[in-house]
Amino acid sequence: MEGIVLALFVCLILALFTKRFALPSIPFYIIAGLLLGESGLELVAADEISRFLTDLGLLFLLFFMGLEIKPGRIWRNQSAFVSSGLIDLHINMILGFLVAYVLGFSLFDAVIIAVAFYISSTAMAVTSLIENHKLLLRESETVVWLMIFEDIVLIIFLAFMGNSGGHPLLIVVKICILLGAIIAITHFGRHYLISILKREDELPVLLTFSAVLGIAALSNTIGVPESFMVIAFGTILGTIDPIAFEIHSRPFKDVFLVVFFVFFGITVNLSSGAIPLFAIIAISLLAILSKFLSGMAIGRYIHKNNHSGIEIWSNTASRGEFSIAIAAIYGSAAVSGTIATMVIITSIIGAFAAKFSGRIQKKFSSLGKPVRPVPGTLETADSGRKDD
Amino acid sequence: MALRSINLPGIGTKYELETEKKDVVAVFFLKNGNIQMYTLPHDSSDPGVAELTSAEARRLGTILTGAIMEADRESVEIAFSALSDLRISIHTYTIGKRMANKSLEELQIRARTGVTIIAVSRGEKNVINPPPSFVFHEGDTLVAIGETDQLKTFEREIMVD
Repeated sequence: MEGIVLALFVCLILALFTKRFALPSIPFYIIAGLLLGESGLELVAADEISRFLTDLGLLFLLFFMGLEIKPGRIWRNQSAFVSSGLIDLHINMILGFLVAYVLGFSLFDAVIIAVAFYISSTAMAVTSLIENHKLLLRESETVVWLMIFEDIVLIIFLAFMGNSGGHPLLIVVKICILLGAIIAITHFGRHYLISILKREDELPVLLTFSAVLGIAALSNTIGVPESFMVIAFGTILGTIDPIAFEIHSRPFKDVFLVVFFVFFGITVNLSSGAIPLFAIIAISLLAILSKFLSGMAIGRYIHKNNHSGIEIWSNTASRGEFSIAIAAIYGSAAVSGTIATMVIITSIIGAFAAKFSGRIQKKFSSLGKPVRPVPGTLETADSGRKDD
Repeated sequence: MALRSINLPGIGTKYELETEKKDVVAVFFLKNGNIQMYTLPHDSSDPGVAELTSAEARRLGTILTGAIMEADRESVEIAFSALSDLRISIHTYTIGKRMANKSLEELQIRARTGVTIIAVSRGEKNVINPPPSFVFHEGDTLVAIGETDQLKTFEREIMVD
């Protein structure tokens, strides 16, 4: 228990520091964990309580992601993001898999690393666009839709990689039954749920918290992938009142996710020696390079110029919460160490790349003419803020 | 003038307006409640950015609708298009020497101008719907409601020193 408190206070100080200098906080939480835990001073070790709290962090991260996914809106914008999403998926997933496999990871581990290698940090991309005042750039829409595409790939991956065992067809049937039950309950109980969410007392928060934990527990009991079910649950609840559920689950997400990151660092053992350090650093640098390749390809394909490619790269180079989540769910010790290092290196380089993308573009200016960062790439299908 | 709005998942809502002269103004209502406003002149590729709180954005909105805004005098005009274009203005004024130490009853504001005083702010305190016996002090800020013409009359007949 003292360990958790110590870790939390270290994170609090780091949060103050990173927010002050507009740096991404996730890599610093992981570094703090590495220093406090097995790889460093061994001041804090994981125990039953910390494991429960990190589980909560993961659940609320996924639930939150589910709330953000609006199937209707994605359907309307599919043309805008399918091609760029597929470019991003192919280049990064294939490169990530090849490099991991060549460096001696087993087939399964190489797939896990490939997914973590592929999936950028939505949190860092969004923060970067806002903090660096890049929202007007037309590339920002491309980046936002890329993140959504990656989320969908992650969901599909989680659905098929359920570590629960059992016949795949049986699991699909169970998932369908469970989803059907949730949709039916939320459909017929919609007005009752909305009336609960409007209350001022503890009920809305209690409902949100126990519903998320309940779905996770239920999924475990009947043997369907818990992480997938929690995301799907978020998406379904998002059709009722996404803002209310966001407000009521945000404090849980914010706190437990920090615990999740720092304890991920604490339990990672970098000195296990299974994979040499140079190999880990090579993967991390390649992760930067591969997003550069995919960013340039998307820039050329969608926006017809190289500057857009650099802009897309600089905002998507950071790997973060979802890579860590993949490592926490499926990773062996060697895989977790590799992904932890990759997240730290890519997110720090990514943060600086995003801040100085203008200057990087100037260095590249011999490759093409600068283009006015104006509007009009996406045909807008929905207007107003009604379903935001 | 082309206006388009779009939802950016995870970020918020974007409103973008291209003016006749091809300048671009874009406003983003972010999920964290803040607002970012970008302006991009037609002959530049470097946008200017301002970050606003929602209170600041409302203030800016009032200025852009053409209402008078000074430090101690501001007004809003509300138009009810459904009620045969009824337009009501709400205006604030600061009490000078001439009106000081007189009561609402003495001044006969509503009878003479048609303007209604709906609130008075004195220091940290606000008096909503002041009674006829209410006596003004120098430096009070009052909130008056009426049609634009009535407010003009009020300014001419009662406020002038």
